[in-house]
Amino acid sequence: MIGFYTVMEGVIAFFLIAGGVFAFIGSFGLARLKDFFMRLHGPSKTSTLGVGCVLIASMCYFSLIEGSLSLQGMLITIFLFITAPVSAHLLAKSALHYKLARDPRTLDDIEELKDGEDDEKPNGENGHLP
Amino acid sequence: MLDNALWISVALFTVSIMLNLYRVAVGPALPDRILALDTMYVNSIALIVLFGIWLNTKTYFEAALLIAMLGFISTVAVCKYLLRGDIIE
Amino acid sequence: MSLLLIVLLPLLGSLVPLMGSNERRNACATMTAVAPTIALGIALAYMGQVLDGDIPRAAVSWIPALGLELAMRLDGLSLLFVLLILGIGLLIILYTRFYLADGDDMPRFYAFLMLFMTSMLGIVMADNLLLLWVFWELTSLSSFLLIGYWYRQSEARKGARMALTVTGAGGLALLAGLLLIGQIVGSYDMQVVLDSRELIQQDPRYLPALLLVLLGAFTKSAQVPFQFWLPHAMAAPTPVSAFLHSATMVKAGVFLLARMHPALAGSEAWLYLVGLTGLVTLLYGAYFALLKHDLKGILAFSTVSHLGIITLLFGLDSRLAVVAGLFHIVNHACFKAALFMTAGIVDHECGTRDIRKLKGLWRFMPLTTTMAVLAGAAMAGVPLFNGFLSKEMMLAESLQTPLLGGLSWLIPALATVGSLLSVAYSLRLVRNVFFDGPARDLPRTPHEPPRLMLAPVMLLTVICVVVGLLPALTMTALLEAAASAALAGDSPELHLAIWHGVNPALLMSLTALLGGLLLYLQRRHVFAFQRQFRPRDARLLFEMGIQLGVRIAQRAIDSLENGSLQRYMLWLVIAVLCVAGSALTQTSGLQGPLENQPLDGLLIAGAIIAMFAGLATAIMHRRRLISLLMLSIVGLMTSLAFARFSAPDLALTQLAVEVVNMILLMLALFFLPQKTPQESGAPRILRDVLLAAGFGGIVASLNYAVLTRPLESISDFYLENSVPGGGGHNVVNVILVDFRGFDTLGEITVLCIAAIGIYKLLNRLRLFMPSSDADGRPWALDHHPAILGTVAQTILPLALLVSFFIFLRGHNAPGGGFIAGLITAAALLLLYIARGVDWTQQRAPIQFQPIAVAGVGVATLTGVGSFVFGQPFLTSAYGHFHIPLIGDIELATAILFDLGVYLTVVGSTLMMLANLGKMTTRHRPSKNKEQA
Repeated sequence: MIGFYTVMEGVIAFFLIAGGVFAFIGSFGLARLKDFFMRLHGPSKTSTLGVGCVLIASMCYFSLIEGSLSLQGMLITIFLFITAPVSAHLLAKSALHYKLARDPRTLDDIEELKDGEDDEKPNGENGHLP
Repeated sequence: MLDNALWISVALFTVSIMLNLYRVAVGPALPDRILALDTMYVNSIALIVLFGIWLNTKTYFEAALLIAMLGFISTVAVCKYLLRGDIIE
Repeated sequence: MSLLLIVLLPLLGSLVPLMGSNERRNACATMTAVAPTIALGIALAYMGQVLDGDIPRAAVSWIPALGLELAMRLDGLSLLFVLLILGIGLLIILYTRFYLADGDDMPRFYAFLMLFMTSMLGIVMADNLLLLWVFWELTSLSSFLLIGYWYRQSEARKGARMALTVTGAGGLALLAGLLLIGQIVGSYDMQVVLDSRELIQQDPRYLPALLLVLLGAFTKSAQVPFQFWLPHAMAAPTPVSAFLHSATMVKAGVFLLARMHPALAGSEAWLYLVGLTGLVTLLYGAYFALLKHDLKGILAFSTVSHLGIITLLFGLDSRLAVVAGLFHIVNHACFKAALFMTAGIVDHECGTRDIRKLKGLWRFMPLTTTMAVLAGAAMAGVPLFNGFLSKEMMLAESLQTPLLGGLSWLIPALATVGSLLSVAYSLRLVRNVFFDGPARDLPRTPHEPPRLMLAPVMLLTVICVVVGLLPALTMTALLEAAASAALAGDSPELHLAIWHGVNPALLMSLTALLGGLLLYLQRRHVFAFQRQFRPRDARLLFEMGIQLGVRIAQRAIDSLENGSLQRYMLWLVIAVLCVAGSALTQTSGLQGPLENQPLDGLLIAGAIIAMFAGLATAIMHRRRLISLLMLSIVGLMTSLAFARFSAPDLALTQLAVEVVNMILLMLALFFLPQKTPQESGAPRILRDVLLAAGFGGIVASLNYAVLTRPLESISDFYLENSVPGGGGHNVVNVILVDFRGFDTLGEITVLCIAAIGIYKLLNRLRLFMPSSDADGRPWALDHHPAILGTVAQTILPLALLVSFFIFLRGHNAPGGGFIAGLITAAALLLLYIARGVDWTQQRAPIQFQPIAVAGVGVATLTGVGSFVFGQPFLTSAYGHFHIPLIGDIELATAILFDLGVYLTVVGSTLMMLANLGKMTTRHRPSKNKEQA
């Protein structure tokens, strides 16, 4: 069984480092990429994956220590995986609303990214009370 | 082995948070800052989980859960503020 | 015990008239008279014992730590006053029954009167200095109510305010004086103080103590220069004047002189201060009494003058003078109360009190006239009346005094002048009103008042005459008992008699009588003389003084409290800098005996991030949203630090508070101007930077100093006792809900009240709602993004589950009601953000106010519940239970308390935030919903 523990230790270590690397890449992308829409990719996918890896490592670790399956970390993982896309969606929405500048290389004839697109046609309804 | 891996991971996450801070500071636009802050929350979760492994305790589990939940709520609130101004309408 | 009853019965009696009604006046008056009658009976029952030289005492411990006990004594002095207060008080109750007009609220009057009687009895019977002061202030308050009884009249209100200001201020001086005496003696017990004359008078604090006590006595007894309030207090109903301003309240000052006589008197300072003040007051009052045209005004100044006589007597260095003073207190009370009541009757019958309009009333009211003549004769000091006896004693004693050395002949001379004046004004009062030709132009045709209204006057006048005729028989025993108390020893032998043979005092009396008659006949010269002075209204001066004080105070407040938060913070920070900074310079080095903790890269990185974000928050403050984001980084770092240093509870709380705070700020930001101008110039910024840096430096130094020193704190106690004492492994939570549960109860109550306050403030608030953001961009049209809404709904049950979990295990692991409440609130807020108020209200029409209130209720009931088991408030019980499937759990009643905390936090947070959010919807908390 010593072999099992060693293997597990290796697995945990792998997930820890992988998590760190993913998170680093995500944040590095956030810091380095040219415009907001590019930067959005890094955190919303890579960083979430990184944290997911760390949580898997934690689950493995505590299951190993306690000798029984420890699933609490799962709750956080599920939570993150549900919410991360929604945050990203809302951020993209507000970026579009702000009409943020785009890198020329991403300027394409994508229907949704043209200026004056979106659902912002002023039609008199402003939803505010006097 | 585990110790080394742990420390490497902690170091990477710390550097990530510093990078996030850089993005929060320089912007340029508000969505950039919010995105960076959200990422900072996510990375903090990982840091707290790593504390837990390091100190060999599950006490920090709730703190991580709370950051996940409340970080999401505050991101949503700020986005709503950017979009509509009035966050509860 | 029955001693205490003398004071307590009138106190209870003050409630009796309130049960009566204004229509059934006889019943009301009768019921009111019951309590004082019983009290008088008790006092009379003690009389024999007291006259034999005994001093009955009774005490109940009140606040032993302050040396205050509810202690009563009944020595001769007290007895004399108790009989005066209760006897005249009963007569006043009878008189008032007929005096008050139909529109006047009789129960209210009687209630105030009884309250006053209680406090007066308390003064004269107090066996403890502090207790005496408490009753002293009570007389000021209750006399305020009585003087201002006709509160619709401006005169009454102003008079009452003036009396309260002067006597109240004097009362504060008295308190300071009594505290000084108590410190000198080391006890507040009356007997101990009275027995320590040597100790007190040799102490360097004697003079200030004496001055303060005299200030109290002189303001109360209307001595010059504090005499001005008494004439203005005449705006009170006449029974009040008769009771307070002749017989009782103004006598409290001279009572105090008599009471403290054994301890304070005899020194040179006492003789000069008391004696000369009395002499000046005697002359001042008598002179102005001659000049007044208002009946009550004459009587008021004459009261001032007679109080001066009594004060003078206490200030003469002679034992017999003190006896004369006590005698005059009784005599003055009798004839002055009778005269006041007569004045009230005249006013009542004729509709005016102006002595220039009144004339020849003897034809209409012969009985009243007789009474007035007799009482007036007593006041003038005509032989065969009681006033003559005490006045003659005064004149005789004034001859003996060595007070002014070679000029000591001045005192008897001036005393004679005073008596002469009093003869003149007594004559003027009686002759001008009741005789002096036929009456003309009276507002009303007078006739005799009801017999029962006249009865008190008759009784008092009879006393005047009987005492005047048979002084030795009636007064000797009582006076000797009183004098032995005021002199702390045996009373000097009294020879009260009308005829002592031809002696200087008799000659002085005769001079006064004849001179007074002459002065009365030539009074127009006095009036002409007085007309050369500019009339001076004491009330005007007083009001000006008060307004000046108010203006100065207002200016001081305006400069300190100008509504600028920056200004307040500036003072606060400077104060902390000075205090903490000076304390730090006193310490021997910053580093304590403990080693520094090891430092690693993670900590450094965290510190750098937190510092950077903190600085950015301040620098970016004009771009509010960015500043807010920076602030939340600081919060995040703080909670990471809490986690790193093993404080999971704090980390959780910090996180939850952080997000709720952020939502609150954003809700508020919406209503604030989106751009702020530059407001501070460079010097101001420099000042603020320096201050902030200094403050931060001092706090950091303090932290360092504290953390490097071993600390004996209460934490060890909590750590050891949390499991055996509170049944929980989470010390933080056990402290919150058990050890310091009472604090928590207070805090959640405050939270609930604050939330309700905010709710009410938002009510009807009209706000500007910007139609575009800071850059002029119109708001997006998508109110509620569908993805967000769906996910928020999905997360809600999950979040509630988490908060439930954190709540339940809070007693043993990080968590608890407070954090759980914030999580629930945040989850519900997410739903509000994602779906809007309309949608949420339709599906869950929850009112948050009842939840918050119910929370406080549950927590309180949990506390009260321990009474059922005979335990003190908020005692918690706990036990282990085995529940199938779930396993062993430990349940404590504290969890119920925690439930209360949880409910309060949820209710209050949502009440504030959701309602702030509702400002823009038709659900806003206002009465006119349909308008919005």
